[in-house]
Amino acid sequence: MSAYERSPSTPSSSSRLAVAGSAGNTLRPGDNAVLNGRSLLRVICTAGSGALEYTHAFVTAYTADHLRGAIAQRLSVGAYELLSNALNFGSVSSDIVIELIESETLVGVRVTNDAISARISMLTEHLLKLKNNAEQTYLEELRRSVTGGIPRPMLGLARVAHEVGLTLDVQVQERRVSVTAQCRR
Amino acid sequence: MSEFSTVRVPKVDTIAIQLTGPNQVKLSGTITQKDPASDLAGFFKALHTAAIVDKLGEVRADVSGLTFVNSSAIRLFVDWATWVKNERGHRYTLRFVTSRNVTWQKTAFLALMSLTKDVLAIEHVS
Repeated sequence: MSAYERSPSTPSSSSRLAVAGSAGNTLRPGDNAVLNGRSLLRVICTAGSGALEYTHAFVTAYTADHLRGAIAQRLSVGAYELLSNALNFGSVSSDIVIELIESETLVGVRVTNDAISARISMLTEHLLKLKNNAEQTYLEELRRSVTGGIPRPMLGLARVAHEVGLTLDVQVQERRVSVTAQCRR
Repeated sequence: MSEFSTVRVPKVDTIAIQLTGPNQVKLSGTITQKDPASDLAGFFKALHTAAIVDKLGEVRADVSGLTFVNSSAIRLFVDWATWVKNERGHRYTLRFVTSRNVTWQKTAFLALMSLTKDVLAIEHVS
């Protein structure tokens, strides 16, 4: 798909961006399609809460029980990093929703939250870098971890795209942001 | 007695840490704390300092049992490798023992290796 897609049939504030996963996973047709399917679980977290660790533990236990080992491990990383971003960078005025979704061919974790436009721009910019070269971006963020770069290193999404090879799909509608990390089942 | 084997091991809820030899440390479990540095950075630094004092040729850090770590924990491993790389006096090889079965480890340590290849070694176990 195009780098940053705006559908003429949707409001101008609605957009979508997909970043294919890397890390040696061969991308097949349909892998970066929008994940529409059955919600296996849905957890609502209060923004600004300390829900990260126990919500992640719950999602990890669930995926380990319901999905193949390697897929469960990859989604565990995706769940942690997406939820961590939402808790750290999302607006505190609305809830954060984390879902595990499966379709016939794909499975993924989706985190939805509100954010201010500056944060959404930052996210989009970062995802474009990942789309261009996930491995290079991952290495850059690792390097920035050492030097303590400003703004602070954004290793989380780079891990999701490169380290565990999940495809990232972001949809923005007004201030509502949905980030999905998905892979073939 | 070596300095390395007398380093105080921190108690962290989700991780089991053992000093398994005069140059070996083993970590297993998960690292999900928002700021794992508060528990682990000092410990890794103490191991690094002890390795220098003991003039060790190699330190083995067995992380094969770490099934999940967050980004902040990865930064701790980067820091450790960087301390060794920047060491002007005695320098040792930091060998990470990783598992082929733990997805995050395959790419993370390969990337770390590319940043600090002079001082790092990776060993894979099943």
